[in-house]
Amino acid sequence: MLLEVFLVLGTVIVYFLLSKKKEETLPFKDGWWGKGQKPDTEEDTTIWPFKVETTEEELSDLFRRLDQARFTEPLENSFFHYGTNSAYLRKVVSYWKNQFNWKKQVEVLNKYPQFKTKIQGIDIHFVHVKPPHLPEGQSAKPLLMVHGWPGSFYEFYKIIPLLTDPASHGLSDEHIFEVICPSIPGYGFSEAPHKKGFNSVSAASIFYELMLKLGFNEFYAQGGDWGWLICTNLAQIAPNHMKGLHLNLASVTNMGFIHLVSILLGRYLPGLFGFQDEDVRRMFPFLKKGLYRILLESGYAHIQATKPDTVGCGLNDSPVGLAAYILEKFSTWTNLEFHNLEDGGLERKFNLDDLLTNIMIYWVSGCIVSSMRFYKENLQKGIGTQKHERLTVQVPTGIASFPNEVMHTPQAWAQKKYTNIVSFHFMPQGGHFAALEEPELLAEDILQFVGKVEKEQLWRKKGD
Amino acid sequence: MLVYWMRSRQKIKTIEIGDGWWGSGERPLKGKEDESIRPFKIETSDKEIEDLHQRLEQAHYAPHLEGAAFHYGFNSSYLQKVVAYWRNQFDWRKQVEVLNKYAHFQTTIEGIDIHFIHVKPSYVPHGRAVQPLLMVHGWPGSFYEFYKIIPLLTEPARHSLNEGDVVFEVICPSIPGYGFSEAPHQKGFDAIATARVFHKLMNRLGFKEYYLQGGDWGSRITTNMAQMLPQSVKGLHLNLVFISRQGLRRMISVMLGAYVPWLVGLTREDVQRMYPFIQKNIYELLRESGYLHIQATKPDTAGCGLNDSPVGLAAYILEKFSTWTDKSFLHKDDGGLESRYLALTHCALRVSLPPSLSHSALDTRPEERVKFYFQVIHSDLEQEFDR
Repeated sequence: MLLEVFLVLGTVIVYFLLSKKKEETLPFKDGWWGKGQKPDTEEDTTIWPFKVETTEEELSDLFRRLDQARFTEPLENSFFHYGTNSAYLRKVVSYWKNQFNWKKQVEVLNKYPQFKTKIQGIDIHFVHVKPPHLPEGQSAKPLLMVHGWPGSFYEFYKIIPLLTDPASHGLSDEHIFEVICPSIPGYGFSEAPHKKGFNSVSAASIFYELMLKLGFNEFYAQGGDWGWLICTNLAQIAPNHMKGLHLNLASVTNMGFIHLVSILLGRYLPGLFGFQDEDVRRMFPFLKKGLYRILLESGYAHIQATKPDTVGCGLNDSPVGLAAYILEKFSTWTNLEFHNLEDGGLERKFNLDDLLTNIMIYWVSGCIVSSMRFYKENLQKGIGTQKHERLTVQVPTGIASFPNEVMHTPQAWAQKKYTNIVSFHFMPQGGHFAALEEPELLAEDILQFVGKVEKEQLWRKKGD
Repeated sequence: MLVYWMRSRQKIKTIEIGDGWWGSGERPLKGKEDESIRPFKIETSDKEIEDLHQRLEQAHYAPHLEGAAFHYGFNSSYLQKVVAYWRNQFDWRKQVEVLNKYAHFQTTIEGIDIHFIHVKPSYVPHGRAVQPLLMVHGWPGSFYEFYKIIPLLTEPARHSLNEGDVVFEVICPSIPGYGFSEAPHQKGFDAIATARVFHKLMNRLGFKEYYLQGGDWGSRITTNMAQMLPQSVKGLHLNLVFISRQGLRRMISVMLGAYVPWLVGLTREDVQRMYPFIQKNIYELLRESGYLHIQATKPDTAGCGLNDSPVGLAAYILEKFSTWTDKSFLHKDDGGLESRYLALTHCALRVSLPPSLSHSALDTRPEERVKFYFQVIHSDLEQEFDR
């Protein structure tokens, strides 16, 4: 009798332990993304330095295309309602031809050390910036920062100095970071996968290998846009290596009945659903601010998730088309109201040099098509259908919620997925491209988040 | 009350005709619109062809994924073959002659120049009436789609068709913003506006009653025409039917239709084509409607690069000629297009028109077409959300 009881108890305990483990981690995804067959030889493990370069040929090809660009007149009084206004686009192209200096921008890009290394068959590009000086007894904390679409590693160029050298920028130097900004495979100077199936879990696995290769056993990760998903997956793959996860976007892809109810009633009974005043202000009226907005703004995602090679083709051949496509996002995703402006409000929060440098990264690397394929690899089966979307995250998480993000996720929803939210702040201003638009605000939030995690040694507590 | 109810049932509801002005700037207060119908010929030049060739030669391609066929969109290896043909063998001058074999005209309606072809039968048997037939194209098509069917309708006997009593004179306009019809300069040009413009066109040509035929946007436009002025439309023929009013009854018939089709009025052929419902009507629709979504929301963004890169334009348009002809073409490396050289004429047509400086602007940017999506769908959405 006792034996049977023990056996049953034992089975139940073992089952719970195993099932709990299964639920908590996402398996590391190995792969081979190079051309053709995987060779039998060992992969080259070297890390070699990389510099962005340009040639006269590249420049004259660009100028020729800019000169021969064909524009269509916008509808009268249409501002940015139909997409990028071509009258404003002409001004951008004129600046691009006559004032923008790509050679100078290449030097700007090269001011931070860049490297490449082969992982799972493809060359991974990354920026690696160490602190210029460290106070006595302090070590630099490794921080992986992952960009999204249509961004690049360049988005972090303004925030990097605030994190590697906070003291020089009026910030507390209690925590100093060495920052690693890779390019997602298929973006910028990272090689594009040659095989189908490269999704966010693949990217997370590759970045995990990268961090281990660089000798980091414990690190922080930060991301927005695709970087949000990749860093989330990384937290699910390697929770014991990630001290903290900081996000400036925290979408909920696993919507359920409770979400629907909270959408219907949340405006009237916010407390019941855990909504704060600011949540209500940002989310409601839901049809206008949620559903309608999503429909209006997600055409690009729909076509990229289904026919990336088609939509990317012309953009890889026409720099003006590429600029129109990318600039539209920098306008609308920074502030939705900008679509009522003739110039899309682009130069209110960004300067043309930064915007064009980002676009040039897509142009010179020819990566627009492969960057779009990432949408198909992640979304082709629909939203909320992948295994990792059902798994939670136990790693200490900090969320910076910017007011002009396309869709707002309240903490009440985020904490169902991110079970260990250490800090959640409503940022006073800023949109989707937080690192480029509001580097100080984002850096401050990262610093306070890391401060909390370090003070309470929170990363050790998970797993208990 | 019974009498009132019976009478109200008999009243046919029509769409209001309304009015519009689509030209540049303000509508002129004085003066009547120029109603002349001017003959038109498509032209090309060495400069235009050289510019095209240069763009084809400098095209950038991105390598496709291994084993992708057409699942990620247009396969870039096959695209290079198409472009090689386009550069080296396709003869645009010859195609322009082909295009000009039918009589083309332009006339100004509501402030913009409307292009159309008008083909009369060369021989009308004694005592036969000729029926006017308006045929409306869609996207990414054009008036050129009808070139093979026109002779079968204007001269059925010569093509061994049983003509019965019917011979047609065919009018194929270009939707404003497409081909050689001027693009509207004002916002709001939707299918209803097009319907009204085409009624005015038929009226101007002297027709009081006519037949309509359409597919794709043509279907929607001709349907609106029939709803607007039913007394002018003798018959409406469609090769695509849009149904925008889904109701509870529709949902129920969808659910039951797979098992008891006869109960909900479906034929065996219907069942074969419609089911599995989720697969064919939702999943496949979602997979194929990305273009519609982006064109209905950000047409100027989507069209910009396509107006500047003929190769990009070709990929975008030819993808439709592949998948909309046969879904199984997705699995082929050439998208099943090998027999579709016709499609190249469409592309060349769109690309070859230079920015026009003349007052009768031939504004044929791809963006104009995609704007059309925006107008129609946006107004649908607005109706939904303004309720």
